[in-house]
Amino acid sequence: MSDKVATTESGSDLITIFVKTPKDKVEFSVPSGILIKDLKVKVSEKFKSTVEQLVIIFSGKILKDSESLNHHQIKDGHTMHLVIKSLPKNTQASTGANSSTTQTSSSGDQRQQQQQQQTNPQPAANPFDLFSGLGSGLGSFGSGNMMEMQQQMQRELMSNPQALQQIMENPFVQNMMSNPEILQQMMVNNPQMQQLMERNPEITHMLNNPQLMRQTMELARNPAMLQEMMRNQDRAMSNLESIPGGYNALRRMYTDIQEPMLNAAQDQFGQNPFSALVGDGSNSSDATATTQTIENTEPLPNPWSSGGRNASRTTAQSSAATTTTSTANSSSTGTPAAGSMFNTPAMQNLMQQITENPSMMQNMMNAPYMQNMMRSMSENPDLANQIFSQNPMFADNPQMREMMPAMLQQMQRPEMQTVFTNPRAMEALTQIQTSMQTLQREAPGLFPALGNTFGTNLSSTTTTSSTTGSSSTTTAPTSTSTTTSSATHQALLSQMMQTLATGGASRPQEPPETRYQAQLEQLSAMGFINREANIQALTRTNGNVNAAIELLLNARN
Amino acid sequence: MSTCEKPRTFVLLEELDEGIKGEGDGTISWGLCDDEDSSLTKWIGTIIGPPKTVFEGRIYQLVLHCGEKYPKVAPEVKFNTKVNLPFVSATGHIDSRRFHYLLNWTKSCTMKSLLKEIRRLMTERSYQKLKQPPENMEY
Repeated sequence: MSDKVATTESGSDLITIFVKTPKDKVEFSVPSGILIKDLKVKVSEKFKSTVEQLVIIFSGKILKDSESLNHHQIKDGHTMHLVIKSLPKNTQASTGANSSTTQTSSSGDQRQQQQQQQTNPQPAANPFDLFSGLGSGLGSFGSGNMMEMQQQMQRELMSNPQALQQIMENPFVQNMMSNPEILQQMMVNNPQMQQLMERNPEITHMLNNPQLMRQTMELARNPAMLQEMMRNQDRAMSNLESIPGGYNALRRMYTDIQEPMLNAAQDQFGQNPFSALVGDGSNSSDATATTQTIENTEPLPNPWSSGGRNASRTTAQSSAATTTTSTANSSSTGTPAAGSMFNTPAMQNLMQQITENPSMMQNMMNAPYMQNMMRSMSENPDLANQIFSQNPMFADNPQMREMMPAMLQQMQRPEMQTVFTNPRAMEALTQIQTSMQTLQREAPGLFPALGNTFGTNLSSTTTTSSTTGSSSTTTAPTSTSTTTSSATHQALLSQMMQTLATGGASRPQEPPETRYQAQLEQLSAMGFINREANIQALTRTNGNVNAAIELLLNARN
Repeated sequence: MSTCEKPRTFVLLEELDEGIKGEGDGTISWGLCDDEDSSLTKWIGTIIGPPKTVFEGRIYQLVLHCGEKYPKVAPEVKFNTKVNLPFVSATGHIDSRRFHYLLNWTKSCTMKSLLKEIRRLMTERSYQKLKQPPENMEY
């Protein structure tokens, strides 16, 4: 095509060039040496705009006013691109009518704060429409535009964790997120979420817990924390896995709950700790299948409550009303598994740990499933007996075993529970206990006398509960325990506290390294390598790993 | 054409010719950085911000480096004009791992289609929330 051009070098010959906008293409006949400045004048007349608005681009370059066509070797038949900018000083307004809601002038330097600036051809995508829609309920999430936009947003966010983080850090979003109602509405209106919730009622339960949601948001803001959490969980899972039968239960749990959740999350982290579990589990399942085949059908997300409930259903035909609890995982298969659950070495180990570590006890008492377990145990003395007969701690101590049902009754009382969940109260109790022990040492004659009275009381309690097996038994312990004298209560309590506190009371003499060895190991496995700091943190938090981590992290920052 | 491999120079000259003639929809433009560059290595691309997006009215300039193995190997692409896009690094370089077109580059890909794809991504709704740096800032 350049052969048509003969003498462009001179700069005076007329050449035909094209100026192209996204909409149209206009032909111009200009001298080949024309300055861009002059060309712009011609172009501006044609496109009904001012010279200042024009930007001419040729083969990737923005042409400067002072340059000529020659300078860029623009020849006959070449095409230039034209951009007509909106009027100067008002460039932001050019981003369309919808952008009027954005912060215009100050926007530039706040690159990190995204989110607010949202321009979109669709009116529905106006950010304020969006959020007001959310706030008012169903909002516009149902509309096609919004769905599409949301999907794109999600895709983008998934591929870009940083962006997600940034969004999460935006105060506006934080504000929104901290309002559980809005969140919940968002969730409910998201079709994907709806599906997930339909399939997994447990998740619904979770999503309805505003506090949990807030925590999740916290996590989403902090990917490191999320990863940390996943790692912790992984560890916990492998621990659980080592329990016979635990593997199968885990697998079930995985397919039911974890998989849908993790599938969403794992993109970011590249690997799924649970898939490894399923992968190498084939050998372990062989080993466990022989010994614990009955348990394979056992739903284990909550070993305490489900086990307890199963057993209570099979052993005593207690009325259904006593076992109704609102937890989601009530799908029981009616296997007599609870006893064997507690029979496992790991469980016994746990029991032992509980008795040795008051803070752990406290943690456990706080857990809702613990309360469930308590309830089912006290409703079903047989189960309790079974459990305790298999625990060496109780098995070696028949007296203890006998008083257990009543004790459980005790434990169930709200006052008692508050005591257990209050570390200071526990401390006070251990103190009482130690003084009791001293008393016993110093004045041995005092105790047998007391013990006798309690003993008779106790035996009467236990006989009623152990000899009867029908539905009436479930109410029996309740009545007995309520009628027993307050003195018995105290004795039971002191006995119980003795076992519980032997660890706690004697421990303080030990150096913290040995006392918190397990916790220390946990911490170092999490990557807290400063042993001194770990010990200090654990000492300060009474061996509570979670609190210690928080302390350590705070100290680090 | 499909069976024998076109030499690098041929491919690039074709692309240059297209650029000069202003092929495309008038929203992207490309050419050599230096008209005298006979190695056809350093290219400049321009993307006109798509209308009704945060990029509207802005002109984005990119430098494309077509190495010896072009078009078998994708060019290195760097934004000259500051832009906030998830696949563009803080230095303006396009992260090929996060930009599918570069990731899936084949020898039939061209700079034109590359620029087109970038421009298409600018219309992605999800990017409309991204706060853009002030106009005409360069890396």
